[in-house]
Amino acid sequence: MADYREAPLASRPKSLDPNEYFNLSSDFRRAEEDRAAIRANLKRQYQLQLNNPLRKELIEDPALTQWVYARTNPYPHFRPTYKTSLLGAVFGVVPLFVMYYIFKTDRDRKEEQIKAGTFKRPFSLSS
Amino acid sequence: MLKILIPTLLLIPTSWLAKAKWLWPTTLLHSFIITLFSLAWLKNTTETNWSTLNPYMATDPLSSPLLTLTCCLLPLMILASQNHLAQDPLVRQRIYITLLVTLQLSLIMAFAATELTMFYVMFETSLIPTLILITRWGNQMERLNAGTYFLFYTLASSLPLLITLLAFQNKTGTLSLLIIQLLGPIPISPYVNIIWWTTSLLAFLVKMPLYGVHLWLPKAHVEAPIAGSMILAAVLLKLGGYGMMRLMLILSPLAKELCYPFIILALWGVLMTSSICLGQTDLKSLIAYSSVSHMGLVAAAILIQTPWGLTGALILMIAHGLTSSALFCLANTNYERTHTRTMILTRGSQMILPLMATWWLITCLANLALPPLPNLMGELIIISALLGWSWWTIIFTGAGALITATYSLYMYLMTQRGPVPNHMISMNPSHSREHLLLTLHLLPLLLLVFKPTTIWGSAY
Repeated sequence: MADYREAPLASRPKSLDPNEYFNLSSDFRRAEEDRAAIRANLKRQYQLQLNNPLRKELIEDPALTQWVYARTNPYPHFRPTYKTSLLGAVFGVVPLFVMYYIFKTDRDRKEEQIKAGTFKRPFSLSS
Repeated sequence: MLKILIPTLLLIPTSWLAKAKWLWPTTLLHSFIITLFSLAWLKNTTETNWSTLNPYMATDPLSSPLLTLTCCLLPLMILASQNHLAQDPLVRQRIYITLLVTLQLSLIMAFAATELTMFYVMFETSLIPTLILITRWGNQMERLNAGTYFLFYTLASSLPLLITLLAFQNKTGTLSLLIIQLLGPIPISPYVNIIWWTTSLLAFLVKMPLYGVHLWLPKAHVEAPIAGSMILAAVLLKLGGYGMMRLMLILSPLAKELCYPFIILALWGVLMTSSICLGQTDLKSLIAYSSVSHMGLVAAAILIQTPWGLTGALILMIAHGLTSSALFCLANTNYERTHTRTMILTRGSQMILPLMATWWLITCLANLALPPLPNLMGELIIISALLGWSWWTIIFTGAGALITATYSLYMYLMTQRGPVPNHMISMNPSHSREHLLLTLHLLPLLLLVFKPTTIWGSAY
């Protein structure tokens, strides 16, 4: 653990900071080192492609592709839980009924006023 | 009418017989001439509103702006597709243009139809070329899914319309719009009344699209090639609006009670889809959801059946057609250079392509309904009409307008400002073809500021 060194393209992650790591288990530290090594490798691959003077095409970042795909296709992975059902009800179902109630009562009140002859039209507008 | 239809029909032999070097300029010039002739439709010559009348087709102030828009869009589509089809074999280029022209023909006949049967047949006919465009020339694998959604949503919702039209023909003996507008309320038994009303409008509500049944639209718009996106956003959605406006004539007394669920869905859809726009990663998807949002306003305005509502709906349809098509063209210029639609990867274009940034600015400002453009005029009239219907709608339309402004500016800032991504090593400069394309989109919009009566429709 004490001989973890920073690589040229990978800075020291916080969990491997020597001021912090004496209260972490060695398994955790090993896992963090492995992850830091993978990240450094990915960054090296990207930098190799980025700085290649003979490159003519775009670099494909697989992480970005996966992220964009995940953002655009949530439906096959939808799972009805309490949270999602609540969100769906609050934003999808309840507003429709609330709006129906509001509009219907407002319009019925206006209709009664028109039938009784008390509906005031202060502006002369076509509608 | 024939002086537009026959040249459009003959554009098909033109695209097959033109020499390879002259294919695109020839078809472009031909379609521009057709557009020039179609401007004559904008002059309304009679008081009964039906001009250029012949036994099957006519134009009136409701359909003539939409017809001119359709004819205007064909040269723009040809102009926009020129680049990405350049590497396709020649036969495929000819097939593409033939598809565009077939679509154009079916749309012209749909908007100009006086018989509702012809309108329905042309409504369905316009689905086939669009489907072929999406599934064959789309860029991602998801285009098959998109084509399926598009076809089956619109087809399944329009089959009940066929039955309704046939039943109507059976009951009243006619389906001609000229006669329907003079008939009184149709006597139908009480519960069948409701089914009748819903099935008549369902096809158009799905096409518009209404919020609950809008799922086909983001898929179809995103996966379609540029010409497909343009025609979808600019004209095919308006086919739904136009159909609704025509059919509401025969459905009127019942509309007062039955319109509530659909107006509510439309207004809530304005809010929901605008909010979805704010969280999109894909540029074309953002523009697609913004189309749903604007069309929600149009749907609500048509359903309340007041003169101002119909006027505002028509103005917003035309203005949105031009704006949305321009946005898709801009997104396509971006896509052709960076081959990605993700907004994060295509930032900072103002530094690289400053002139294109001008067009981005004007189009995004048009999208957020900047005065004095007709987008604002349409939205304002719709909001006022909805206010007259019930004061509480201002909550939804006002919040919708606010969020529309937010996501339009967000789109502008994300694509134009910000750091340029450092993996883009070469971007082609803007072609003058692209500048021409955007000028031709925005110039009609600016001209309409000075004479909005052309797109006011027959309610005024």
